[in-house]
Amino acid sequence: MAELVPGSRFPDLDLPDHTGRARRLSELAGGDPFALFTSRGWWCPKEQRYLHELCRVQDEFEVAYARIVVVSVDSPEVQSALRAGLGARFTFLSDVERRWIGPLGLCEGTDALHYPYRPAAFTLFPNLSIHRAYNGYWYWGRARMEELRRDMREISEKIRPDWEVPPA
Amino acid sequence: MSEALPFAYVRFDGRQLLRHATGPGRRLRIDGRCIGGEPVAGAFAHVCALPDAAAALRFDEPEVQQARRDALAWWIPMLGDALVCLSTFALDASRCAGAMTVTRAPAPWGDDPFARLFPGTVARPDFLCPVAPPAGPVIERYAGAPWPGGHFG
Repeated sequence: MAELVPGSRFPDLDLPDHTGRARRLSELAGGDPFALFTSRGWWCPKEQRYLHELCRVQDEFEVAYARIVVVSVDSPEVQSALRAGLGARFTFLSDVERRWIGPLGLCEGTDALHYPYRPAAFTLFPNLSIHRAYNGYWYWGRARMEELRRDMREISEKIRPDWEVPPA
Repeated sequence: MSEALPFAYVRFDGRQLLRHATGPGRRLRIDGRCIGGEPVAGAFAHVCALPDAAAALRFDEPEVQQARRDALAWWIPMLGDALVCLSTFALDASRCAGAMTVTRAPAPWGDDPFARLFPGTVARPDFLCPVAPPAGPVIERYAGAPWPGGHFG
């Protein structure tokens, strides 16, 4: 089981996205810092509420060279519909076969109906190193938008060689 | 494709998209990955651009940003597996001359969000190859590199 703690490397997930295309996490990072969220699924009102929050902050991610990725056990078709309904422009990854839920140790075992992912968030360097991890089993444990902004700032400061403005 | 040059040149004469840096037609930059692999035979390219050298918008204009948002939100998902590649056309570090959407079959071109910027022409290029569609939500662009191409470092 992967140890998902700051400083360790997040596994390079290989899963279909919301359109059904095969994707790898490292490919989605594309050299930028990113925030990865595991989500129960479309049916959970807490997930719907939280994804609305992510849609609000996506406007900043889209101009700040940073990414958002959401993983759930929903099928690509369901994710695509949810994404459209939310107005999300970020990528959803579908683990409908639950291939990664065990190796990641993120199964929410208390839900014996859906066997979904436990809500969690990881802010990651482009090489998938974990900067911070958040346990969202309780809603108040989730990464708040201000915490995401702080983490993206801290990672960007470390990876952007021109963070300090170069001399003209 | 050179890593140091994250774009390739094509030319557009109003009807056809040509894989030449010089010659007839208007020279446009595309994401270099679009010519970096095995070409898709019989592809269709919806070229939203004009051959007129003055037809350009700044990438930072709201309408250009919104076209990229719409591409991420629904245009690319709607095309599904038919999509071969997509690239904006860059002229230089700040100006956009439109975009091309390349597919394996005819698509509902009237819905192309980039057709709001410049009128579309369906061309049949034989040199464009599959590129994984961009992962949102990044619409910001690296200066000089057509979206979604380019990266730091």
